[in-house]
Amino acid sequence: MANEIIEGILEALRLMFTFDPELWGIIEVSFRVSLTSTFLAALLALPIGSYIGLREFRGKKTLTNLINTFMGFPPVVMGLIIFLLLSNTGPFGSLGLLYSASAMIVAQFFLAVPIITGTAKAAIESVDPMLKETILSLGANERQLWWELIKDSKKSIIAGFLVAFGQAISEVGAVMIVGGNIRWVTRTFTTSIVLQTRMGEFGMAIALGIILISIAFIVNYGLTRIQSRGS
Amino acid sequence: MKVLNVKDLHKEYYKDDKTSIKVLSNINFSVKKGECFVIIGPNGSGKTTILRILGLLELPTRAKIIYKGKDISKISRKDQVKYRRNLSFVKQKPVVRNTSVFNNIAYGLKVRGMKFREYVEIVNNIIDFVGLRGMENKNARDLSGGEMQRVAIAMNFVIEPEIYLLDEVSANLDPMNIKLLEEFIMKIKQDKEKTIIMSTHDPIEAIKFADRIAVLNDGQITQIGNPNEIFTAPKDEFTALFVGYENIFPGIATIDKKTGLNQIKINDLIVTASSQEEGEVKVCVRPESIGIVKNPPKNTSYRNTFKGQIENIRDLGNICHVIVSCGSEKFLTTITELSKKKLELKIGSHVFINFKATDVKIL
Repeated sequence: MANEIIEGILEALRLMFTFDPELWGIIEVSFRVSLTSTFLAALLALPIGSYIGLREFRGKKTLTNLINTFMGFPPVVMGLIIFLLLSNTGPFGSLGLLYSASAMIVAQFFLAVPIITGTAKAAIESVDPMLKETILSLGANERQLWWELIKDSKKSIIAGFLVAFGQAISEVGAVMIVGGNIRWVTRTFTTSIVLQTRMGEFGMAIALGIILISIAFIVNYGLTRIQSRGS
Repeated sequence: MKVLNVKDLHKEYYKDDKTSIKVLSNINFSVKKGECFVIIGPNGSGKTTILRILGLLELPTRAKIIYKGKDISKISRKDQVKYRRNLSFVKQKPVVRNTSVFNNIAYGLKVRGMKFREYVEIVNNIIDFVGLRGMENKNARDLSGGEMQRVAIAMNFVIEPEIYLLDEVSANLDPMNIKLLEEFIMKIKQDKEKTIIMSTHDPIEAIKFADRIAVLNDGQITQIGNPNEIFTAPKDEFTALFVGYENIFPGIATIDKKTGLNQIKINDLIVTASSQEEGEVKVCVRPESIGIVKNPPKNTSYRNTFKGQIENIRDLGNICHVIVSCGSEKFLTTITELSKKKLELKIGSHVFINFKATDVKIL
């Protein structure tokens, strides 16, 4: 077994430094899908989450509980739901999205929305209430107040985006079900690792694992730098 | 003309177990345009809550707060913003945004729709005025406490609103910033279009700025009146104890070139004081500094002696308050019960009161 791991690592290095087209294809699909889904989710979730954080209204507690529940929604169940919706007999079957990158984006989008909503809400709520009152009493309207609070809590909001992206790129259940792990089209890091491991192709699996971890590290490091520069 | 009219204001806070705490009950007052209205009371009496309600940072449990014919406690969110843009709310603790000093000070003007070229000069002027030149590009959150206070003062005063709500603003300020704040307040007071509503627990501050004072005790207003009325004729024991029962008279001060002493003309009386302020002043003499004698003393070190008649005597155990009217003014004095008996003081008795020039406080 130890032998296989060493061989795997060597194979991983070879694949990476020879710019293996299949490896790069997987990287491209993974990034395209996860970045798009997280970005689209942020477009929807950021306004919703910050609005919930800003306002007091009846049913806010229940809504918060609901969001928190969905933040930990099992990806594989999400995959199942999207599969049923997009399958030929499902309500959106006619769109023909099943087993495509778009289907994976949809699944990851619905997984990321509650995460970004929840963190944006918490970020806005954690702003010093004295600051909120100062901004209001200086004459800001609701939109201006909202923008100031977003700016003041941007670190937490970026962190929420990071968590959502991290979950999306490392998630396997949903993309496996709705994407189908089709070579060159819907094969991502995670689905590929599952496949290669099953086939005993540890080299490719380890290479993908190393790259996945390295990418996660680089992205996080870069964004952390941006965050600390902003303070 | 009334700027704000507060009627039947009640505020209760509800705890988780549905029980409530009364913070304010049956508050009624109105504030006139151009006046400085001071709410005075001990900590926890509800002063801040009143200002927060007037600033729409909190809603009353029940109230009618009329501003320009509208009840501000029941207006739409849009109108709330419109109303808030007519006022500025200066708090005890300065809070600044995470941006430069310049941007912090300019914020109130910016949200009101002013363009950079319109406000750049105004903001720069106030930066010079508050002594923050050279720091305008620094992040306001990196400043020292005192500098941050100046940013907070500047950003609230640059707006030049119709109403200023000042919540115990001098409580945490260093002496330099207190002076700065006083300069701003005095400047605003000269503008008869601007109204100040401030809260304080310091009677001296109230005397200094107030045109009218409301005394707040345990969520209720016990008395409203001009400083003279509040300090010389407190309606109840709380007010009397809280304000320190002072004698306060407005007058005109001039320095006597021969003696170097200050001569303050208060209607038909001339009070001598040792301080050097000239012009319009307020003269304060504490009741315990005033002595009563039956015959005018000769060769005394007391520079102030006035003939008067006892108008009222209030017994308070072993001391009593004696109110003596001298010409147009009434003086309050505190003497012991023993002195009262020895001097055979009664309502209507003719007496002389005296006090030292050094016991006269000029505000």
